Amino acid sequence: MKELVEYMAKALVDKPEQVMVKETVGETVTLLEITTAPDDVGKVIGREGRIANSIRAITNAAAAKQNKRVSVEILSDDKGGNHGGKAEQQFS
Amino acid sequence: MKTLRMKGKNVEDAVTAAVQVLGTVRDKVKFSVISEGKSGVLGVIGVEEAEVEVVLSEGLEEDTKQVLQEILDKMSFVAMVEAKRGEESIELNIKGEDMGRIIGKEGVTLRSLEIIVSSVMGRVSGERVRVNIDADGYKEKRKKALERLAKEVSEEVFQTGKEKAMPFMTPADRRLVHIYLQENLLVTTFSRGEGKNRVLIVAPRD
Repeated sequence: MKELVEYMAKALVDKPEQVMVKETVGETVTLLEITTAPDDVGKVIGREGRIANSIRAITNAAAAKQNKRVSVEILSDDKGGNHGGKAEQQFS
Repeated sequence: MKTLRMKGKNVEDAVTAAVQVLGTVRDKVKFSVISEGKSGVLGVIGVEEAEVEVVLSEGLEEDTKQVLQEILDKMSFVAMVEAKRGEESIELNIKGEDMGRIIGKEGVTLRSLEIIVSSVMGRVSGERVRVNIDADGYKEKRKKALERLAKEVSEEVFQTGKEKAMPFMTPADRRLVHIYLQENLLVTTFSRGEGKNRVLIVAPRD
């Protein structure tokens, strides 16, 4: 799942070398956290979260095939900025 | 689409070297600068090489197809992608196993794939690329079903003389119905409302 998220995130941004995906395998849900260069955060979130939600839907479709559940989060260290990355609606 | 990273003493050198490795000519590639490099003091201390990423396009259809194929492979789906150029879009068709999952509930996965692939292609090619992705004839079946519904609603509107709202549809589905009913002499169509409340209205033509 990590490889899939990493591929999509890297292909969407201008600075792929700064993309990092951290995978935390939990009992029921696997958490995938995406970090990008500050300028690129918007590119993985998209207008009204369109891109972020698409990444989530695709990753969930792949996870469902293996009877797993994933949660994809986009981390932004932009203090005070509201990109909505954390606030996005979660698929389950 | 072939991508290559290359270092050099400056950007120009790195690009020239990459073009040679790819066996092409300068005009055919696009590149982005990863690091400008530093010439250092007296060209000795603190010298840092420049690094570029050079992309050689193999044609828009082929590039687009490769992006989708790569995503499907990484999703662990056994599937193959066919590509052709439509009037204003790249048309991709997925064939393989597990099509239900690739389509998703009400086509959500297909739509998500379209959004990601067209964003990636937009960034790579520098222009807006409209991408349509179908799997197992899903879109064609959906189009037929929508047209059947539109026909029923238009007949009802003509008989009652009263406008009627269609059930909620995605913008792409609304577009399809607008086009389908455009040539209908009995009714006219328009959309009303904003965002998630936007619906297509079928009204009598007068």
